Amino acid sequence: MALASTPVPAALKAKRRREAARTLAFLSPWLIGFGVFFAYPLISTVYFSFMKYDGFTAPTFNGLKNWDYVLAHYPSFWTGLGNTLWLVLVMVTLRVAFGLGIGLLITKVRTGAGFFRSAFYLPYLAPPVAATMAFAFLLNPGTGPVNHLLGELGLPQPGWFTDPSWSKPALTLLAMWGIGDLMVIFMAALLDVPKEQYEAAELDGAGPWQKFRFVTFPNISPIVMFAVVTGVIQTMQYYTQAIVAGKVASGVIGGSGQQFEPGYPHGSTWTLPQMVYNLGFQRFDTGSACVVAVILFAISMAFTSLLLRRKSGFINED
Amino acid sequence: MTLTSTVRLPARATSAAAKLARRRAALHWVAVHSFAIAAALFFLLPFVFVLLTSVMSDQQALTSDLWPTEWHWGNYAKVWRTPGFLSWWRNTLLYAGAGTLLTILSSVPVAYALAKFRFRGRNLALMAVISMMMLPPQVTVIPMYLFWAKQMHLTGSLWPLIIPMAFGDAFSIFLLRQFLLTIPKEYLEAARIDGCGDLRTLLRVVLPMAKPAIAAVALFQFFYCWNDYFGPQIYSSENAGAWTLSYGLESFKGAHHTNWNLTMAATLLVTAPVLVLFFFAQKAFIEGVTLTGVKG
Amino acid sequence: MDTTRRTHRALAALTGTACLALLATACTGTNSGGGQDGSAAGQDVNITFWHGWSQDNEVKAIADNVAAFEKLHPNIHVKVVGNIADDKSEQALRAGGDEAPDVVSSFTTDNVGKFCSAGVWADLGPLLQKDGIDPAKTFPAAMLQYSRFQGNQCSLPLLGDAYGLYYNKTAFAAAGITAPPKTFSEFEADAVKLTRAEGDGYQQLGFMPNYHGYESTPTHFLGQYGPSYFGPDGKSDIATDPKVAAMYTWQKALVDKLGGFDKLEKYRTGFGDEFSAKNPFTTGQVAMAIDGEWRTASLAEDKPNFEWATAPFPVPDDQAASYGRGYQTGTIIGIAKGSRKQTASWELVKYLTTDTDAVVSFANAIHNVPSTLAALDSPKLDADANFRTFIGIAKNPNSSTTPASINGGAYQVSMQNLGYEFEAGKQGDLKAGLAATAKEIDAAVQQAK
Repeated sequence: MALASTPVPAALKAKRRREAARTLAFLSPWLIGFGVFFAYPLISTVYFSFMKYDGFTAPTFNGLKNWDYVLAHYPSFWTGLGNTLWLVLVMVTLRVAFGLGIGLLITKVRTGAGFFRSAFYLPYLAPPVAATMAFAFLLNPGTGPVNHLLGELGLPQPGWFTDPSWSKPALTLLAMWGIGDLMVIFMAALLDVPKEQYEAAELDGAGPWQKFRFVTFPNISPIVMFAVVTGVIQTMQYYTQAIVAGKVASGVIGGSGQQFEPGYPHGSTWTLPQMVYNLGFQRFDTGSACVVAVILFAISMAFTSLLLRRKSGFINED
Repeated sequence: MTLTSTVRLPARATSAAAKLARRRAALHWVAVHSFAIAAALFFLLPFVFVLLTSVMSDQQALTSDLWPTEWHWGNYAKVWRTPGFLSWWRNTLLYAGAGTLLTILSSVPVAYALAKFRFRGRNLALMAVISMMMLPPQVTVIPMYLFWAKQMHLTGSLWPLIIPMAFGDAFSIFLLRQFLLTIPKEYLEAARIDGCGDLRTLLRVVLPMAKPAIAAVALFQFFYCWNDYFGPQIYSSENAGAWTLSYGLESFKGAHHTNWNLTMAATLLVTAPVLVLFFFAQKAFIEGVTLTGVKG
Repeated sequence: MDTTRRTHRALAALTGTACLALLATACTGTNSGGGQDGSAAGQDVNITFWHGWSQDNEVKAIADNVAAFEKLHPNIHVKVVGNIADDKSEQALRAGGDEAPDVVSSFTTDNVGKFCSAGVWADLGPLLQKDGIDPAKTFPAAMLQYSRFQGNQCSLPLLGDAYGLYYNKTAFAAAGITAPPKTFSEFEADAVKLTRAEGDGYQQLGFMPNYHGYESTPTHFLGQYGPSYFGPDGKSDIATDPKVAAMYTWQKALVDKLGGFDKLEKYRTGFGDEFSAKNPFTTGQVAMAIDGEWRTASLAEDKPNFEWATAPFPVPDDQAASYGRGYQTGTIIGIAKGSRKQTASWELVKYLTTDTDAVVSFANAIHNVPSTLAALDSPKLDADANFRTFIGIAKNPNSSTTPASINGGAYQVSMQNLGYEFEAGKQGDLKAGLAATAKEIDAAVQQAK
């Protein structure tokens, strides 16, 4: 603000104006996108969370009733929140640990590295609907090959997607299969660790674990942090795999004449994003759907703000 | 992206020590590659099982057999002849193709401005981009659906999926910005001294240098559109003529709930183009993924 | 600084636009359709009909029926779109627009309450009256009940499903059982006799009572009790109607008698897909099953290696006189309120739902129960004894259905969830569970009002 009082040469002023116009021109597509596809729907979601609207008859003001319903009289909300929390704790942790392990492995492989890298990366690219259907088949307890093999080996054969206590682990397995993104990120980070530090550690007589603990990990910890936070945010959007797995496993999919039980079996795969879809596009309770959407937004933004902290290194300056 | 081993062998040593070191290196090699093979089985066997099941007979696909007794390659022809299957392909290609093109056109200038222009609110804008990138699409889906359905009357078509791509995609902007940051200022200043305006600088100097990043972004966006299920489910699925592969695949399972063989064949047909594309553009892709990470 | 201010201004402008759009959304009211489309005067009219059938034989049966209709009404042209899930057609109807269908069918009757109360589907009452059709004399009572909501007949039944008992005759003979059970105590005794344990599993299970055992859901079992789900005040009755508690108690006792929840659950998760040749009844894994009439067709096709037959599902001992009843549901069809071609649409709906030949041929083609009283008595109906069992159930005056509710099938999901808790022993206090579930249902209904 102090600048405003100091006289500015006219030429400089004109230049600044030109620059401002230029910046605005370059940013314009995104500014429109920000307004129409982000700011407007966000405001509107908050607005609808206080309205009663069935997508057909005109909306009316509903006060806090939608909020009261979702938080106090809709037990499925807490089931969904619990599942989301489970996925955050277990799926994200296992994915990061497994991705790091695979990243470490691929940096050590010397023969056929190209083959292994592609093999490890490939599943990440499989379209989620296709991958989920494939896993629903592979893990089908009655007819799938996985339980067949487990049986041959004399191991227990879980019910996977049909058993409420195994459905989330089955989804976790599917998520670990598509680990390619994390593998590549970790691989790049691991190759960036200065060699001298390993040599110094070796001179000090450090074993493999100590080298990992005192050299590798400190060097890559920002990447681990990044992987954890983005993993949490992805989990907040976890939708396709959960819904498709439930549909395929319950046998109620497409036009089979029955209504799909959301979160099959017994709400065990029921997540917040599915709740928005179910409330908004199946029960047509737009108000309650928007309440869940607002809550989902708040949680996601809380985690995003972790990324935005300067320390996280996510926003590197030029 | 060269893969160098972190295990270093001493260059010169006494013969006994060298022998020991060689043996340890060999053991290390065996251990590492055993793990790698086990991991490769985990990652690749699902593809193998799916492929094998896709050529079984209807009956055999329902057994726990792993190997087809007869190879029914005709299953693929059957899937291909599913009513609508071709239009799912056409729609998906249209969505992915147009979406990718529009994303690049609209995101490059924004990323360039965020990376190279100095202006007040730049950090704020960047934070907004990141927030958009992290926003679950379900948060805004209800107003967006109402917008497309009640104001634009475009639901049941691909337009609600494609049009937003003309207004910058947050992830692409972010990725491109990360890359553009690495272009040294001197190039831009040299261009300016040569009398290039901002647009010319972008087109003549920056774009050629940013090709790998643009390729990566294009690939990501193509895959995103190809794989998208939520968008088509919400906006286009109420018109069977506007179904995409992801959505159609699910309905395929509904219509053929007894035929795992056909379902698996369809699954592979939907996955195949993505895998082929990956093999052709592997390098660009992996560089792109690396860009999303932070500099350690 | 100019930049900042400009950015702010631009953002403000965008927000302004956004708010305008918001107001426009808020003003979007009910779509209104038009009645006269000229079809009565012989003008050519094109209408769109969406349905959910997807199997080849079903799609063909619908196409045949529509072709017969077009022959009768050469000026009405029907564009048929199949394999549309219920949610999708409802979404399209609410959105309106040019592509929206005129005639819609829905597999689940759960949503009738939503369709009628929101006015998404047109009330067919006046049309029926105009054409002199008395619904009570045309359609079975239970089917009428699930196709209307609070006096609004916004849909009509288009074929129905009835649930009965499938039993493995070969296994019955081996266990020395001569006739299908008629009461729950007979059923329980037979189920135990038919169960042969093997290790910590089963070689053969008499019956899979767990609620996830495909069709063995609380509402299907309750069809044998005929409970009242909602009182006259619109509040959930499940905590006060003793029949509901009796069903939950009976199922839990059966679970315990057949080996306990965990053991049964382990067996259940090994079942093949319900709609496949690996259905546990078809494979012989279970000797009795509750299932709909369509299973007769799949069993005829899959040819299991045993003899099988059908009978009405048993009834509670204290209601033995009502033997022959069962749970009923079905497909419904209606007209979009927003359609501008109501006259032509009504002709199609009337033909598909009330023309005896149309209903009978469609029922025979896709092995469903016909949905008019005349068609149920038609001699042209499939004479197969196993299929006829279900015709009997559909005609039984004690057969019942799950009533339409303003928020669709949400109350059934709540009851199902209570069932999972109770059968697994996670909810030990049934009374408290029922009271909490009733409260949950009431809150959801209130929220939807």
